[in-house]
Amino acid sequence: MNKHKKAANLIFGGLTIMVLLLFAFPFFWMLLASFKTQGQIMSTDQLFIFKPTMDNYTDVFKEYDFLKYIFNSFVVALGSTLFALLLGLPAAYAIARHNLQKLGLVILVARIIPGITFLIPWFILFSKLELIDTFPSLILSHMLVGLPFIIWIMISFFEALPTEIEESGLIDGCTRHQVFMRIILPISGPGIITSSLLSFIFSWNNFMFSIILAGDQTKPLPVAVFNFMSYSEINWGGLMAAACIITLPVLIIALLAQRYVVSGLAAGAVKG
Amino acid sequence: MQYNWFDRNLKWIYTMPAVIFVLVMMVFPILYTVRISFFEWSMSAITPPKWVGLDNYMTLLKDTRFWGAVRSTMFFTVAALAVEVVLGVAIALLLTRDFRGKNVMKTIFLLPMVSTPVAMGLVWQLIYEPTIGAANMLLKAVGLKPQLWLASPDQAISSLIIVDVWQWTPMIALIVMAGLATIPTDPYEAADVDGAGRWRKFISITLPLLKPTIMVAAMLRLIDVLKTFDIIYATTQGGPNLATETLNIYGYVLGFQYFKLGMASSLLVLFFALVMGLTIVMIWMRKRMEGRYE
Amino acid sequence: MKMFRKRWLGQGLSIVLAATMLAACSNGGGQTSNTAAGKENTQTDKVNNAAPAAKPFEGKSITLVTANHPWGDAIKPFIPEFEAETGMKVKVESYFEDQLTQKLTVQFTTGSNTPDVFMYRPLQEGKLFFKNGWVHPLDEYVNKDPEYDFADLSKSAVGSATVDGKVAGIPIITEQEILYYRKDLLEAAGIAVPKTIDELVAAVKQLHDPAKEMYGFVARGQRSPLVTQVSSFLFSEGGDFTNGDKAAINTPEAIKAFTTYGTLLKDYGPPGVLNMSWPQAIGIFAQGKVAFYTDANSIYKNATDPSKSQIADKIGFAPFPAGSAGSKPYNITSWGLAMNANAVNKEAAWAFIEWATGKEMVLKTQQAGNPGARSSVWDNPEGTTGFPAELVDVIKESVKGGVDHDRPTVISVGEARDAVGEIVQQIMTGEKNIQPVADKANEALQVIIDNEKTK
Repeated sequence: MNKHKKAANLIFGGLTIMVLLLFAFPFFWMLLASFKTQGQIMSTDQLFIFKPTMDNYTDVFKEYDFLKYIFNSFVVALGSTLFALLLGLPAAYAIARHNLQKLGLVILVARIIPGITFLIPWFILFSKLELIDTFPSLILSHMLVGLPFIIWIMISFFEALPTEIEESGLIDGCTRHQVFMRIILPISGPGIITSSLLSFIFSWNNFMFSIILAGDQTKPLPVAVFNFMSYSEINWGGLMAAACIITLPVLIIALLAQRYVVSGLAAGAVKG
Repeated sequence: MQYNWFDRNLKWIYTMPAVIFVLVMMVFPILYTVRISFFEWSMSAITPPKWVGLDNYMTLLKDTRFWGAVRSTMFFTVAALAVEVVLGVAIALLLTRDFRGKNVMKTIFLLPMVSTPVAMGLVWQLIYEPTIGAANMLLKAVGLKPQLWLASPDQAISSLIIVDVWQWTPMIALIVMAGLATIPTDPYEAADVDGAGRWRKFISITLPLLKPTIMVAAMLRLIDVLKTFDIIYATTQGGPNLATETLNIYGYVLGFQYFKLGMASSLLVLFFALVMGLTIVMIWMRKRMEGRYE
Repeated sequence: MKMFRKRWLGQGLSIVLAATMLAACSNGGGQTSNTAAGKENTQTDKVNNAAPAAKPFEGKSITLVTANHPWGDAIKPFIPEFEAETGMKVKVESYFEDQLTQKLTVQFTTGSNTPDVFMYRPLQEGKLFFKNGWVHPLDEYVNKDPEYDFADLSKSAVGSATVDGKVAGIPIITEQEILYYRKDLLEAAGIAVPKTIDELVAAVKQLHDPAKEMYGFVARGQRSPLVTQVSSFLFSEGGDFTNGDKAAINTPEAIKAFTTYGTLLKDYGPPGVLNMSWPQAIGIFAQGKVAFYTDANSIYKNATDPSKSQIADKIGFAPFPAGSAGSKPYNITSWGLAMNANAVNKEAAWAFIEWATGKEMVLKTQQAGNPGARSSVWDNPEGTTGFPAELVDVIKESVKGGVDHDRPTVISVGEARDAVGEIVQQIMTGEKNIQPVADKANEALQVIIDNEKTK
C-alpha cells in the first residue's frame, strides 16, 4: 500500500466516522438523558458523568401505563399492514402485469393530500359508524398510509419477475388466480417483507390520525408521549425514556432487517 | 366457465378493492373540504355554515401571513431538498467502497428516518435548548459563539432544516447507493483508457446515469417535505414570530386554534393544488429526462 | 358527600352507606374495610330491590376529559369513591393542552355526545364553545341544592366562566400573576423586594450579570403565551386590551407596558427567551440562572420542589409590582369544568360536576396545590396547607386588586392573542419604532371585534 492510498483511506475513514457520529448523536443524547433526573438534565455540569437513574423507565411503565400503549401501537401497526397487504398485493400484481400505471397514480394521490384535510371528515365518518376509539378506525386510517408504499414497492418487484414463470404455470393448467396464489406469492417473500416493514414503521410513527381517532382505549405511543408534557412541567427524563421505548422496536427492525428496508426504499425509486 | 370469467376480469377484481378503499377514504374528505372552503363556519352547532363563495380564497390571497407561510414552505422545501440531495449523493459515493462494518453503518443510517418524528422533534428541542442543549455545548467546545437555534426568528427555520436533513438525507443516500449498484462498469473502463480523472468520471458518467434515480428520490422527498408537520408541531409550532409557520401549520392554526374551518379548508385546497402541481412538474421533468437517456 | 346522603339515600340503607363513607373518607384507611362495605352493599341491594335507588346512577357511565393538569391528578384517586356512591362509571381521558382543544373541537364539530364532562379554559375557548352551542348552560343546576352553595364560588371566577349571562362552566382553577424572586440574591445585593415596576426594572438591571450566566428577568416570550403575562403590566399601567368596542393596544399606556415587558426580556432575559413558554421559563428560573420571574402563581411547585429545582429554598413570592395605576394583576379562572350540550345523561354529568366542585373535593384538590375558586376553602386554615404561607398572603393580596381577564375578551381569542403578541415580539427582536406596529395590530384586533359584533 503506498502512501497516497494510505492517506486516502485515512481521510475516508475519518469522514465516515464523522458522518456516523453526526447521525447517531441525537440517539446517544436521548439515551443519556433518559437515565438522568430532571435536575441533571437541567444542569450543564453533569453531561456525561452522572449517577444514572432508572426512575424514568419505572415511571413510564408504572405511572403512565406504557405497556398498554405499546400493545395498542402493535395492534394498529400489524393490523393495518396485514390488511394493506391483502388489498395491495393483488392490486400491485395486476397493475404490474396489465400496465395499469394510471391506477397506480390514483393511489399516489393519497400521499399528496395534506394529512390535516382528513381529520374532521374522518371523524364525522367514523363517529357515524360508531368506530371512534376502536381499532378498526385506526387500522383503516393507517392503511391509507401503508397501502401506497406496499403497492409502489410491489409493482416494481412484480415487474422484475420474468413472465416465463406465469406462462409455465398456465401451461400446467392453472388459472391466473391460481398462478398468483400458488406460484407468484411464494416467491415474493423478499418484496413482501420489505413493503410490510415500511408499512409497519410508518403506521407505528403516525401521530396526526391517531390523535383524532384514538381515545383512551386505543391511544398509540406517539400520542401517549405527550402525556409527559403537562400544564405544569415538561418531564424531560420521562419524555426521553418514552422516546427510547418508542424507537426501540423500529430500531430492532432496522437492525434485523436492514437489508430489506434498504432494498424497499431503493426499489421504489430505482425502478419506480 | 366460472373460472374463465374470474380470470378474464382478474385485473379488475385484483385492483378494485384497493382502488375503492382509497377512493372511499379520500373522496369524502376531499369533497367535504372543498365544499366547506366556500363557507364561513366556526364549527358552530347553532349557526350553520354561511355561503361566502370565493371570499375565503380572496381573503387568503390578500393575507400577508398566508404568503409568509407560502414563503416559509418553499424555503424549507427547497433548502432541505437541495441539502439532502447533495449530501445524500456525497455520502452514497463515500460509502460505495467496501469496508468492514458497512452493514452496521447502513443500519445506523436507517435510524433517523425510521424513528418516530414526534419523539425526535422533542429530542431535538432538548438538543437546541440554548442554555442546557447539546448544540450550544458543542459550539462552545470548539470555541464558537452559542446560538439561539429554534428561539431565534432568523435561525429557527434553518434549525428545522437541519433536523429534516438529519432525518432524511440517509434515505436519499441509501436510494442513490442502490442506484450506484446498477450502473454498469464498462463506461468507467472506457474512461480509464482515456485517462479521465475521478472528478471527470463523476461528472460525465456517474451523475448522468444516476440522474433518474436522484429525480425519483427527490420527488418522493418533495411531497413529504412540503407536508412536514410532526417535527414543527413538536418543536416551534410555527414560531417564533411566525418564522417557521408553513402552510400545513397555518392550516392547523386556522382550523384548530382560530376555529375558522372554512378558511382552513380553502387553505388546504390551495395547498393541495400546490403539492399536486409541483409533483406533476417533477414527474414531467423525469419523463423528459428518461426520454433523453434511454 | 353529605349531599348525596340527603338526596338519594333510601332510609333502610343509610347505616350501611354511612359505614361505606366512613371507610372511604378515612384516607388510605385500609382496603379491607372498603371491600367489606362494598360487599355488604351489594347484599342489601339485592334485598331492598324495591327501595328507592341508593345508587342513583347505577349502570350509567360518563366520560370525563381532563388536561394533563395537576387538578386531574388530584381528582383521579377519589373517583372510585364517587363511583361507589353513585353507581355510575366515570371514564377519564387526559390530553396535553393543545391536543385537548383539538380533540374537543373535532368531537363537538361532529355533534359527538362524548365527552360528557370536560376541562376547558373559560377565557380561551369558553366564549366560542358556548356560542357554538357546544356546552350546556348550568344555570338550572347550580342552585338546586343549597348545600352546593354556588355563592361560595368567587364572583370574579364565576364571571370569567359566564357567557351572555349564562353559567357556561364551573371554575376549578384560579390564577393570579405574581412576582417570583430569589431571596438570597436580593439579600446579598441589599435590594428590597420591588413594590413598583420601576423598582423591579432597577433591581433587574442590578442583578443582571450574563458573564456569570445570571440573568435579571424571565417570563414567557412566545407570541401567544406571553399575552396573558403581559396583561398585568398593561392593567397596572392603566390600560386594557379593549375599551368597550374599541381595540386599545396602541394607546400610550399599552405601548409603555409592552415596551417594559419586551425590553426586560430583550435586554435582561436569558438567551432563547423568544421561544419560551412557562415550562422553559420556570425551568431556567429553577436552575438558578434568573433573579426575577413573573407568571401565574399556580405553577409555583416547579420552583419549590427540590427534585426539580436547585433553588427550592431560596424562592420568594411577592404581589405583582405596581405601575402608574397601582398593582393590578389578573385574577382569573384558568380552568373550568363544563358539560357537553349533547351529553346523553345530563343529570349524571351534573352529579359529577357537583361532586368535583363541591366544598369537600375543592378542599382536597386545593390541599394538593390547586388554587380553587371557593371562598370558604380559602378562609379555612386547612384549605391553604398546600401552599407556602408566604404565597397564601400574596394570593390573598393579589385577589383584591385583580382584573377578571388576562387576554382580550373576544370570541376569536387565538387570533386576538397573536395580534397582541406580535407587538411584544417585535420589541423583543429589537424593533425601535413600535407605534406603527402597534397601530397595525390594533387594526387587526378591531377587525376581529367588528366581525364579532355582526354575528
